[in-house]
Amino acid sequence: MLVEEEKIKQQLVERFGLSGEKITVQRERRVWADVPAAEFGEIFDYAANKLGFVILATITGLDEGPTLGAIYHLARESGIILNLHISVQRDKPVIKTVSARFPVADAYERELVDLFGMQVEGLPPGNRYPLPDNWPAGQYPLRKDWKSDTIGKSEVTENA
Amino acid sequence: MAQALFNIFVFPGFLFVAAFGLTAEYIDRKLYALMQNRIGPPWFQPLADFIKLSAKEDVVPQHADKLVFKLMPIVAMTSILTAFIYIPMWGSNALFAFKGDLVVVMYLLTVPTLTYFLGGWYSRSVYSMIGAARSLTQLFAYEIPLFLSILAPAMLADTWSLSGISEYFSTHPWAILFNIVGFVIAIIALLGKLEKVPFDIPEAETEIVAGAFTEYSGRLLAMFRLAIDMELVVGASLLAAVFLPFGLHYGPAAGFALYLVKVLFIIGLISLARTIVARLRIDQMINFCWKVIAPLAFLQFLADLILKGVHN
Amino acid sequence: MPEREVKLTIGPQHPMLKEPESFLLTLRGEKITEMTVRLGYNHRGIEKACEQRTYIQDMYLVERVCGICSHSHSMCLAQTIEEIAGLQVPKRGLYIRTLVAELERIHSHLLWLGVAGHEIGFDTLLMYAWRDRELVMDILAIISGNRVNYGMNVIGGAKRDITPDQIPQILAAVDTLEERTKYYIHVGTEEITLRERLSGVGKLSKEDAIRLGAAGPTVRASGVDRDTRRDDPYGAYGELSFDVVTDNHCDVYGRTLVRLGELMQAYKLIRQILKNLPEGPIAIKAPRKIPAGQAIGRYEAPRGEDVHYVKANGTDKPERVKLRAPTLANVQAVAHMLKDGYLADTPIVIAAIDPCFSCTDRAIATTNLDNGRTDRMEWPALRTYGIDWYSKQGIDFAELNRKLRTMRESN
Repeated sequence: MLVEEEKIKQQLVERFGLSGEKITVQRERRVWADVPAAEFGEIFDYAANKLGFVILATITGLDEGPTLGAIYHLARESGIILNLHISVQRDKPVIKTVSARFPVADAYERELVDLFGMQVEGLPPGNRYPLPDNWPAGQYPLRKDWKSDTIGKSEVTENA
Repeated sequence: MAQALFNIFVFPGFLFVAAFGLTAEYIDRKLYALMQNRIGPPWFQPLADFIKLSAKEDVVPQHADKLVFKLMPIVAMTSILTAFIYIPMWGSNALFAFKGDLVVVMYLLTVPTLTYFLGGWYSRSVYSMIGAARSLTQLFAYEIPLFLSILAPAMLADTWSLSGISEYFSTHPWAILFNIVGFVIAIIALLGKLEKVPFDIPEAETEIVAGAFTEYSGRLLAMFRLAIDMELVVGASLLAAVFLPFGLHYGPAAGFALYLVKVLFIIGLISLARTIVARLRIDQMINFCWKVIAPLAFLQFLADLILKGVHN
Repeated sequence: MPEREVKLTIGPQHPMLKEPESFLLTLRGEKITEMTVRLGYNHRGIEKACEQRTYIQDMYLVERVCGICSHSHSMCLAQTIEEIAGLQVPKRGLYIRTLVAELERIHSHLLWLGVAGHEIGFDTLLMYAWRDRELVMDILAIISGNRVNYGMNVIGGAKRDITPDQIPQILAAVDTLEERTKYYIHVGTEEITLRERLSGVGKLSKEDAIRLGAAGPTVRASGVDRDTRRDDPYGAYGELSFDVVTDNHCDVYGRTLVRLGELMQAYKLIRQILKNLPEGPIAIKAPRKIPAGQAIGRYEAPRGEDVHYVKANGTDKPERVKLRAPTLANVQAVAHMLKDGYLADTPIVIAAIDPCFSCTDRAIATTNLDNGRTDRMEWPALRTYGIDWYSKQGIDFAELNRKLRTMRESN
C-alpha cells in the first residue's frame, strides 16, 4: 500500500543518515520529514533532482516560539507530497533561497521575508510581496507576538 | 444667404447631421445589443450621454498643449460637416458641388483621424500617446484601399465629382454591380476609419484605456463623441452615394427616405461586422490591409479601367 | 511610433484588470522589452485572521478568499481539517461536495471565456458566455441558496442535501450548457479573428511550464498531464471516470481549448455524480476542538491547484493556516510569456492564466480584532469610529468642514 512512500523514507534515511523517527509517512501520498537546516540544501536538491519531486507546491512559514520554521511542500507528478521541515533560530532566521531551482519560490520566499522576518540568502532583487511599500520595518505580522493593533501605534512612513 | 445659412446649420447641415448621428449611434448600439442577446439602450441614450457629458467639468491635463487639446474636437466636427455638404443625398446633386469635390471629401474625412492623433499626442499621457500613434499607423493602412475603392467607380463614371458619380450610376445601374468588391473593401476600410471592432485598436479599452481620448472629459469629450457619430453618418452617406445610387429620380421625399434606408443598411453592416469578430492586433491589421485589402482594391481599380476601355 | 522606450503602468486601476495589481511594462514601439509585477494590493490578512478564529468561523472566512472559487477554498480547508481530526466524511457528502465543485468549475470557466473575449475586443463572446453562465448560477442558487459563496461545506461533510426534484433541473441545465459549449468550441476553432488573436500568443513551452511551476489549465495547455483530481484524488473523484484535458498548442489558444474541454468533462462528471449519488447521511458531527497535528490539502480549483496547510494545536483555533492559490504559481509564467510580446496581447496573456489576485493576496490583518470576533457595528458607530481615528492622526473634520463652507460661500 505505502510502498513508494516507504521507499522515499528509506532513501532519505540511507543517503543522509537521518533518523527514521524524523520521517513519517502520514498516509498514502503524504511524507513528512524533519531535516536539519545545515543539510537542507543537499536534501532539497536530492529530492528535487533525483527523487522526482518536480513541483514546489508552496513554502509554509511557521512561528514555533524560539525558532521559526519553514515547510517546503514538494510534489511528484504522481501525487506524492514530501514535506521538508526546517527550523532556524528566531534571532538569526537565515535560510537559503531555492528560487534558482524553482523560480516560483520567489513569491513564497518573499512571503517569508515580509510576514515572518526571515532573511533569504540569494533571493534576486525585486518588488516586495505581499505587504505595502510603506509598511513599517520590523513588523512581521504572522509572528505570534504580533497583534493587529501593533500597527496603529507605530509610525507608518509614507512612500518609504 | 439665409438659405445657405439654414442649409449649413440646420438642414441638411449641422443640426440634421448631429441628430442623425445620435440616431445612428442608437441604432448601432441597439442592433449590437440585440445581436448579443441584450436589450440595449433606450432611443434617447446617445442624446442623454451627450447632455450629461456637456454638463461635466472639462479637465485639461497639466502638461497638455491646451490650445491643441481644446481645438481638436471642434476641428474634427467642422471637417466632417464640411465633407457632408458635398455628398448627394436624395437626388444625384449635392448641396454644393464642384468638379473635384470627391478628392476634397476624401481629404476632409482624413482630418478627423489627424485630430484624434493631435489631441491624443498633445494630452501627454502615455495611454493617449500610444493610442494616437496607433490611430496614425492605422490611417496609413486603410486609407489607400478606401481611396482606391472609391476612385474605381469615379474612374468608370469619368468624373471627380460625387454628384457626377451618382448621376452616372443612376443612369447606368448595372455598372454598380461591377463594384461589389469595392463596396466590401470600402466597408472594411470604413470600419478602420471609424475605429470600430475589429479595428478599434487605437482605443482598445483593455490595453490603453481609451486611447487618444483617455484624457478628454466633459464638453470636449462630448464633442469628440458627437464628431465620431457624425463621421459614422457621413462615411455611410459617402458609401451610399458612391455604391448604392438607386432610386434618385423619384423626387425629394422618396429619395430622402431611400437615402435613410441606404445609410441605415450600411450602419447595420457595420454593427454586424463588429458583432462577429474580435479586435485585431495592429500588426495583423496592417498586414491584412496591405496584403489582402489593398491588392483587392487595386484589382477592382484595374477592372474598372479595363471595363471603361472596353465600354468606350 | 518612435523607437524609444516608453514605460507604461498598468494598474492598480485599469480597465484591463478586474482586480488591483500593478504591471510596469517597458515598451519599445508595441513590443514589451521588460516587465515587473507588483502584487499585494488585495491583502486582507486572512491567514492571520484564521489563527484568531475558530475552525467553524474559518470555514466561512476562507470561503470568502475568492469570489469565484469560494467552494474550492472551503472544500480544500475542510478536507485538510478532516484529515487532522481523522474524520470520515459520508459518501453522499463527498458526492455533493464534488457536484458543487464541478458546477463551480463550469461557472468559472464560462466566466473566463467571457473575460477572454472582452480582453481581445470580442464582446459578443462575453455576452454569450455570461448569458449561459446564468444557467449554472441559477442551479447553484437552487442547490445552495447562493449564486456565489455557497456555504455547502461544513467540517465533516456537506451542509445541504440534494433533493430528488433538483436532479432533473440540474440535468436539464447541463444539457443546455453542453450544447452551448459545443457551439463555443465550434466558434473557437472556426472564427478567424479569434484564432488570429489567440494562436501563438503567450507561448509557454512544456519545459518552461514545468520549470516555472505553472498550474491548472495553463500547465495542461503546455502538454503537461497534471491534474490533482486524478493524481491525488479527493472528494468523490477517485470513483468517477473523467479525462484530464491537455493540449499541445502551448499558447492562449491551447488554454482556451483546455478550458472548453474541461467544461465538457464537467458535464460528464455531473451526470455521473447524479446517477451514482449514494444514499445515507451527508455529514458527521465534527468535534469543536481539533487534535494537534498537521496536514496538507490539495484541490484542483478551476484555475489550478489550491494548496492548504493547517497545523492544529488541540484547541478550537488553528495554530497556522497557510493558503496557496494557483495564481501565485502562475505569476512567474506570465512574466515569462509577456516578455517580447506585444502590448496588444498583454490583456489576453494575463487573462489566460485566469488570474485571481484576491485569492493570491490574503495574508495580513490590519484591522483591529482584539477579541478574535467581529462585532456588529452600526453605521453611526462606524462613522464616529472613523472620525475618531482620523482625529487621532491629527485630521480634524470639523475644521475641514468649516473651511469648505467658507470656500463655498466666498464663491
